[in-house]
Amino acid sequence: MSISLDQVTKRYQDLPVVNDVSLEVEAGEFLVLLGPSGSGKSTLLRAIAGLIDIDHGRIALHGRDVTRTSAREREIGFVFQHYALFRHMTVADNIEFALRVRRVRAAERVARRKELLQLVALEGMDSRLPSELSGGQQQRVAVARALAHRPRVLLMDEPFGALDAKIREELRRTIRQIQRDLGMTTILVTHDQEEAFALADRIGVMHQGRLLECGRPDDLYARPASRFVATFLGAANLLLGYRRGEHVHFAAPAHAAGPPDEVVAVLRPEETELVPVGKTPATPVGRGTVEEVQFGGAVERVRVRLSDRTARSASGADGAGALLDVTRTLADKRAFPVAPGAEVAVGARRVHVLPTPITSFTVLATAAGIAGQLCRTPLLEALSSRMQARIFEAEPASGTVPPGLPVIPTGPGALAAARWQLEHGARQLLCLPPGAELPGRVVIHVQDPAARSSTFLVASSLLRHLHAEAVYLALRDASASESGRTSGMRDLLDARSAAMSRHGLDLRTELRLGDPRSELQAELALQPRSLLVIGVGPSLDALDRLVQPALEGPTELPVLVVRAELLEHAGGG
Amino acid sequence: MTAVTLPAPRRAEGIGARVVRALLIGIAVSFLALLLLAPLGAILAQALERGVQVYLDSFADSDTRAAIRLTLLTAAIAVPVNTIFGVCAAWAIARFEFRGKSLLITLIDLPFAVSPVIAGLVFVLLFGSHGWFGAWLLERDISIIFALPGIVLATTFVTFPYVARELIPLMQQQGSEEEVAAITLGARPWTVFARITLPKIRWGLLYGVILCNARAMGEFGAVSVVSGHIRGLTTTMPLHVEILYNEYNFVAAFAVASLLALLAMLTLVAKSLVEWRMGSGRT
Repeated sequence: MSISLDQVTKRYQDLPVVNDVSLEVEAGEFLVLLGPSGSGKSTLLRAIAGLIDIDHGRIALHGRDVTRTSAREREIGFVFQHYALFRHMTVADNIEFALRVRRVRAAERVARRKELLQLVALEGMDSRLPSELSGGQQQRVAVARALAHRPRVLLMDEPFGALDAKIREELRRTIRQIQRDLGMTTILVTHDQEEAFALADRIGVMHQGRLLECGRPDDLYARPASRFVATFLGAANLLLGYRRGEHVHFAAPAHAAGPPDEVVAVLRPEETELVPVGKTPATPVGRGTVEEVQFGGAVERVRVRLSDRTARSASGADGAGALLDVTRTLADKRAFPVAPGAEVAVGARRVHVLPTPITSFTVLATAAGIAGQLCRTPLLEALSSRMQARIFEAEPASGTVPPGLPVIPTGPGALAAARWQLEHGARQLLCLPPGAELPGRVVIHVQDPAARSSTFLVASSLLRHLHAEAVYLALRDASASESGRTSGMRDLLDARSAAMSRHGLDLRTELRLGDPRSELQAELALQPRSLLVIGVGPSLDALDRLVQPALEGPTELPVLVVRAELLEHAGGG
Repeated sequence: MTAVTLPAPRRAEGIGARVVRALLIGIAVSFLALLLLAPLGAILAQALERGVQVYLDSFADSDTRAAIRLTLLTAAIAVPVNTIFGVCAAWAIARFEFRGKSLLITLIDLPFAVSPVIAGLVFVLLFGSHGWFGAWLLERDISIIFALPGIVLATTFVTFPYVARELIPLMQQQGSEEEVAAITLGARPWTVFARITLPKIRWGLLYGVILCNARAMGEFGAVSVVSGHIRGLTTTMPLHVEILYNEYNFVAAFAVASLLALLAMLTLVAKSLVEWRMGSGRT
């Protein structure tokens, strides 16, 4: 491995700007770190260069641990957004700087400089001052300067950010060419996805300090794993779909046994087709009205408002029905011209389903007014906006289990309501006290080992969107023998490694001996703003034994119950 | 709504504006003439009143020569000290975030706010024979007040904001990206300072040094308090001018004064040159 990052974390005033990033870059690979501004990508790059210290984790370059090595000794080349050329030095002196500080002989310096100037196509510019060059030329000099001492890693921080479009593309080509020719391991940071696609062997998408996903550009585009990557990398329509066997349907299913298997489906605008009403597309999405038609040169961009009751958007509220972006080729346009106001049928040529465990929230109102109150709790509002997941409200006591994640209020009767939902097919359930705050701490307890994997999946999804400490809690009876304690410890270690390796969850672990119910209460009381995530078996008896105090008082807390999947239960031990 | 026809704004200035402009320029110029040029002229006229020979002879006086030497010596110590201090302070303030940063900036400005006489008195209070360290110094036969160290201390105190004040905004505006680039290229801290930072700030630094020097040579108040006015020993040029004047030795007084004025003129010329270089150096 050329560059290897292990759980790198950097905090500013206790807020992590780079959060637990692990990454391997192979020799000769071109990796692009892509993310919106403030996502921590530049900070990460500067940490690799040694320009800032990290608070946690390890950085290795070519197998050498450089976490505590100064920037000067890391032997990297760094290219800055605003070139950072030495203004008072000529092009030649700029390029030779790294050689001069290494006391390289003059003849050798001149030879290397000529070679580099040729590489960046600036022959004969040796005696110019940076101020006499154009922006593109200055950045070429900066690249040559960064390569002079033959570093084994090249780091570039938005190198094209300050250039205009035409120069940008030209310089992009030059850099890609140089990188290939030299086989230079390169990391480039940008917020421009087009640039990422054009340059990268691999793209890493960063958001809020975390490296969300990393993969080949085409893979990442075709099969994103999260809502953020799906919408940040290219345009995407996110719709709620319902899986039936192999297929995904978009219309909310009619009453069936158990809740429908809701998923978040990604529809790329160019994979969405419009056909005349009456014809049925291969994978129907629904019917809608054309709202806007925009001529885009080689393509036509159409915006369609789906009529209600056909398909629902997975992100954000859109009152009158989901808005779909459709990109059509000119051939499509000739075959079926559309104008604003036209009624059309919408189909999907290709649908990608996100592997996200929480698709939407449905607040079940047990009493008048309570639903609105739950919707406005800081916790649910934050989760909904950060996860880009919608909140629906269901009729009070409609006697069905809604798709997605049902939300019920805590308080008297909560236990029975929770039990009913879980018995009738809900796989997860969120119980909220009115006014639930954002938790400072998430306590995870798996009562039935069969529920461990799904509990971790939901917990990691939740924790990605909350700045909270995570604690994994194991409970053992005080009467437990020595072997019972040993098994408790083993359980902790197993759980921790499973959480780390499968879900990237970094957990603190806690083993409590004593009456499980009171021990759980005691653990939750340590921090008043705790959230309990509990994995329970199919029998649900843990609800009564353990969760009852948190659900019905005296200490009401937000509780997320995850039920063991039946299949998992049959297979697991 | 009724349509209102406004007179078209005239491109050329109206007669009124021209009068105002001429009036303002006139006031400024006559003010300058009255307060600056006339005294300068008077100094020269007085100094040369009895001919060039007498003017030149006044510099032959040993006390006058001692005063010139003392002034140069004081500046030669105070200016480098303040240059080093100013660069350090500006570096710390422009490049780092630390507790008490705004307090430090305020402290640097203190000599601007405090009357020089008070600055001098502070040193007398500290090091004078009845001062805090007076007895201790007396025991060891070290004299600070009414001696060279006191004059240098007072001058340094009065002039220490000049370099720092000039550099802080300059370094803040320039940022540190070039320095960071130099580090990634393998430069050691001293190399970064000497090869990158110093060339970047050289004109600002020179400007600050010139101002600092002008003030160091011309300082009267603070130095007057600590010097003791011992002829030929602790009188700097400004003090010597006062002594000569009080003795009705007008030619000699104005001859030394003309030398000080000449230094000021040179400072102005150097300052303008540096300003011009700074302006053209920026891209």
